[in-house]
Amino acid sequence: MNAFLPLFRTNYRDFVRDRTALFWTLAFPVLFIGIFGIVLGRGDDGASYEVGLVVEDGSPAAIALGDVLDGFEALEVTRGERDIEIAALADGDRRAVVVVPQGFGASIASETPLPLQVHFDPSQQTTQQVVIPVLLRAFEVADRALTQTRPVVTAEFQTLQSERLQVIDFIMPGLIAMSVMNGGVFGAIAMVSLRERRVLRRLSATPLPAWALVGADVTFRMVVVLLQTVLLVILAVLIGGVSVKVENLPALAGVAVLGGLAFVAIGFFLGAFAKTEQGFFPIAQVVTFPMLFLSGIFFPLDSMPDWIRPVVSAMPLTYLGDAMRQLMVGGAPVHSMALNLGVLAAFLVVFFGLAVRLFKYE
Amino acid sequence: MSTPVIQVRDLRKAYGDLQAVAGVSFEVAEGEVFGMLGPNGAGKTTSVEILEGLRIRDSGDVSVLGMDPATSGRNFKRLVGVQLQQVALYPRLRVHEVISLFGSFYEQRANTDDLIALMGLEDRRNARIAELSGGQAQRLSVALAVVNMPRLVFLDEPSTGMDPQARRNLWDIIEGFKAKGMTVVLTTHYMEEAERLCDRVAVMDHGRIIALDSPSALVRENFAEDAIEFVSNDGLSEHDLGELAGVTSAASQGSAHSIFSSDIPRTMGSLLDLAQERGAPLEGMRVRHATLEDVFLKLTGRTLRD
Repeated sequence: MNAFLPLFRTNYRDFVRDRTALFWTLAFPVLFIGIFGIVLGRGDDGASYEVGLVVEDGSPAAIALGDVLDGFEALEVTRGERDIEIAALADGDRRAVVVVPQGFGASIASETPLPLQVHFDPSQQTTQQVVIPVLLRAFEVADRALTQTRPVVTAEFQTLQSERLQVIDFIMPGLIAMSVMNGGVFGAIAMVSLRERRVLRRLSATPLPAWALVGADVTFRMVVVLLQTVLLVILAVLIGGVSVKVENLPALAGVAVLGGLAFVAIGFFLGAFAKTEQGFFPIAQVVTFPMLFLSGIFFPLDSMPDWIRPVVSAMPLTYLGDAMRQLMVGGAPVHSMALNLGVLAAFLVVFFGLAVRLFKYE
Repeated sequence: MSTPVIQVRDLRKAYGDLQAVAGVSFEVAEGEVFGMLGPNGAGKTTSVEILEGLRIRDSGDVSVLGMDPATSGRNFKRLVGVQLQQVALYPRLRVHEVISLFGSFYEQRANTDDLIALMGLEDRRNARIAELSGGQAQRLSVALAVVNMPRLVFLDEPSTGMDPQARRNLWDIIEGFKAKGMTVVLTTHYMEEAERLCDRVAVMDHGRIIALDSPSALVRENFAEDAIEFVSNDGLSEHDLGELAGVTSAASQGSAHSIFSSDIPRTMGSLLDLAQERGAPLEGMRVRHATLEDVFLKLTGRTLRD
């Protein structure tokens, strides 16, 4: 007997012909990530790049150089102290910091002009590809303005790894974790609906084994979760400009499936308490909604009060979000990867066990 | 005669305080169309679902195809066909897709297009389930019951929601099952359906079988008489009618009256005299043979639709 494939195909047909399900599982996360990406992302087109300018030299040449940078529309120049501007770069608030060293003006006339110092984060692709070339172009223009005879404005590049991720880097893995959670928990609605419409009862009158029914359903949900994850990672890169650690993508897919399985198990468990599809929504919302805000996928855990920590620790999304953030963008770990994976596996085992015990055909 | 396909002895099933099936015994022979007739809540569906292996009985002996459906699991389910009430199949799947899906659960299966043709669903082959009429959906669910070409098929109120034409088509299909030698167990609350299709009928009420025989024998045993039916708004009571000459019993449902008589001409004469004396109108008067409906009314004091 080979009912697995026909059941899988049935799930697929049922899913792709259901416009509402398609919207919520594919279009909605895309919209969500699109909005976040546009608001928080490093949009490349028409935008200007924030560049810090630290002028430690009071000469007319230094002032003229500043004026040239101001004249470039692609650059949004902020003047400040060296320490403050470097810190802003580390926080991701500047694309680059240009330091005009003391004695720059005086050195122009000499044989060896002092070079400008340009600090930037080489892991940021737009900086490499756009901001640095714009700066070099600006220096050329300044060069011609200062002397017509020989090049005096040179640059010395100093790299700085931003220590903290930008908001967008922090949020994108969280959004993907959220969509894995929703795909899992709300995916269980298909089974609730089959029970409500008495199809499960009808199937129980056939020799179809329960494992084939559940197996085909879970496999299909995991395929959806994987597709969602791939789609969202691509969008995070394209729209949000997130620099993804490509070498970790297979591991990220694995974590998406493990998390998806844990959340499907939770969805099946919750499904046991709902008689109808309509009745399932509020139950699933009550469980998933607090996790959106408390599991650290949108707001860093260290910004939360201590008393809420036990609640946060009990939420599976906390561990999925942390694991995904570490793998996708190299975010600072909240928990070890082993703990994250272990907790997700534990949720899977416990809730799948409960779901099997509570399962009813009608 | 070969071993019965179904043997049931003193079957009981309660839901809390409600005794849904209260000691039911019967046998069904190979090739028979066996009907269970009764109003909603009579215990027909519960009995049939126990025979299908979908419900566990409280007590009693049940043997179906030589197996106990409660414990034989998938080996048993391979061999029987089942149609349940109120199953809303995948609304976004097409007719042929659902038949193929159910076929994939069995090693031995009918050809999908043959089944579609058998059920007269050819022009709905690619229609989505949500687009089917009630009668078409019902025919599809009967098709799914025979997708594994079973020896024994259970049909639970298969003609519910069908218009008269569709119901007659379904009857032809069920007669076709019988012609192929299938054993059919059928629940219904349409006495016409039971009379037309069933070799034997178990009349059920309140969880018990109150009569069990062929439809014609049931009528013969209970009524040696024919019935006079008419509608009269006032002036005639069941008691008055029972006193008329030749009357063996009378039954009134509101203004609709039925009088059973072994001597129709004599009873008719005295009925007309009485109506004239009281000035009571007699509308839609007709004489007919007694039916299963009359049997049910006589045995329970209720009609099947109550």
